[in-house]
Amino acid sequence: MGIAETCKPALAIGCKWGGTEEAPLVLFPEGAMKVQSTGLAILALCDGQRTFVDIVTELQRQYFGADPKRIREDATTFLEQLHEKRIVDY
Amino acid sequence: MLPNPLALIAEITHRCPLHCVYCSNPLELAAANSELKTEDWLRVFAEAAHMGVLHLHLTGGEPLARTDLEQLTAAAHQDGLYTNLITSGLGLSRERLKRLVDAGLDHIQLSFQDSQQERADWIAGTKSHAHKVELAGWIREHRIAFTVNLVVHRQNLDNLEETIAFIENLRPDRIEIAHTQYYGWALENRASLMPTAAQLENALLVVAAAEARFKGKIRVDSVLPDYYAQFPKACMGGWGRRLMLIDPAGKALPCHAAGVIPGMVFDNVREHSLQTIWSDSSAFQRFRGESWMQEPCRSCERRTEDFGGCRCQAFLLTGDAAATDPVCSLAPTHSVVLQTLAQSPADVISPTSLEENWKYRPNPSRV
Repeated sequence: MGIAETCKPALAIGCKWGGTEEAPLVLFPEGAMKVQSTGLAILALCDGQRTFVDIVTELQRQYFGADPKRIREDATTFLEQLHEKRIVDY
Repeated sequence: MLPNPLALIAEITHRCPLHCVYCSNPLELAAANSELKTEDWLRVFAEAAHMGVLHLHLTGGEPLARTDLEQLTAAAHQDGLYTNLITSGLGLSRERLKRLVDAGLDHIQLSFQDSQQERADWIAGTKSHAHKVELAGWIREHRIAFTVNLVVHRQNLDNLEETIAFIENLRPDRIEIAHTQYYGWALENRASLMPTAAQLENALLVVAAAEARFKGKIRVDSVLPDYYAQFPKACMGGWGRRLMLIDPAGKALPCHAAGVIPGMVFDNVREHSLQTIWSDSSAFQRFRGESWMQEPCRSCERRTEDFGGCRCQAFLLTGDAAATDPVCSLAPTHSVVLQTLAQSPADVISPTSLEENWKYRPNPSRV
């Protein structure tokens, strides 16, 4: 398990941002998913440019004071779940 | 406050080069010359986006039969709608596909009937399989979501494993395996389409194995045959709760089949705004909420999950659209479903004896 440090996560084919600024959604062929708080912070960084390490580093900066190891674990779990649902590719 | 719909199903035409024996279109097809004009659809899409609708499903008939499909797609995309094309692929050249992708199409769902050309063409009532295979390759040249849809029934379930392997080679992002739902033309052909219990049992295992094998690569969604289920499906996510369907002539319906229910009046988008129809039309209000429910639904704790099942099926099988969906094991009329399953012959028809067995869906009249 785990995500390669150098991979560049991005929204999968057919997935795109929708909804409003207050209530953002990720749209995909069979529906939509609400994205909130830390999930939104993680997914907003998945632009296909940043590597997984870049994303974790940026989250650790944004959530300064939280356990950096925990942040990495949470980001890993979140992205793995979305990968399984074919919402994120890496 | 009543939430607005999440998705709009636009049946932009009932014309179709295929004649599938399980087509979900109504028996009374909308005539070609009754179809909404381009500008009507553009207004409907803009209104839908304004109401907060997220998804647009461009379907038919065969939506490619409309020469303005590129224009409709581009407008819906500009309105911010997630645009899905539900298609047989007939009428889609490599060039036209590129134009649709450039117009902002987000997702294409291509139907297949079987893995074998002869069998597939027999189900579709027209030569279409070879083109679909070629088209699947063209679709993968673009960065666009690609679903392969396979409707399953007694005539193709014995090949399911082989068909799934065939579909895997088309490299879709998603496979939808949908057991036939018995409305429209499928109900006419029900005796030849209803799977046997043994076929269903095997199909569940085959689909579960495919899900495990494709995990993280291809998403598998399945629609179960509700005649064999213990409880009914939450049809359309509940009447007038999530979805709105506009037929080729502009009539707004809560679902594909609602036209079969007697006494319904469907308002037309030519005369009313989408918002007015959603909020106020008698058709959308008729089975909203719970006040129409009879027992056992009325006091059933599942009523907020399945909303009493499907109103059209209740009418088609019991003659009462407000009855509990008879596929429910708790329904007082459940025996009609059990009798149907007991009566369905277990044989598989051969393609050579098709004429007397199949009722193919025809094309709508011009006028």
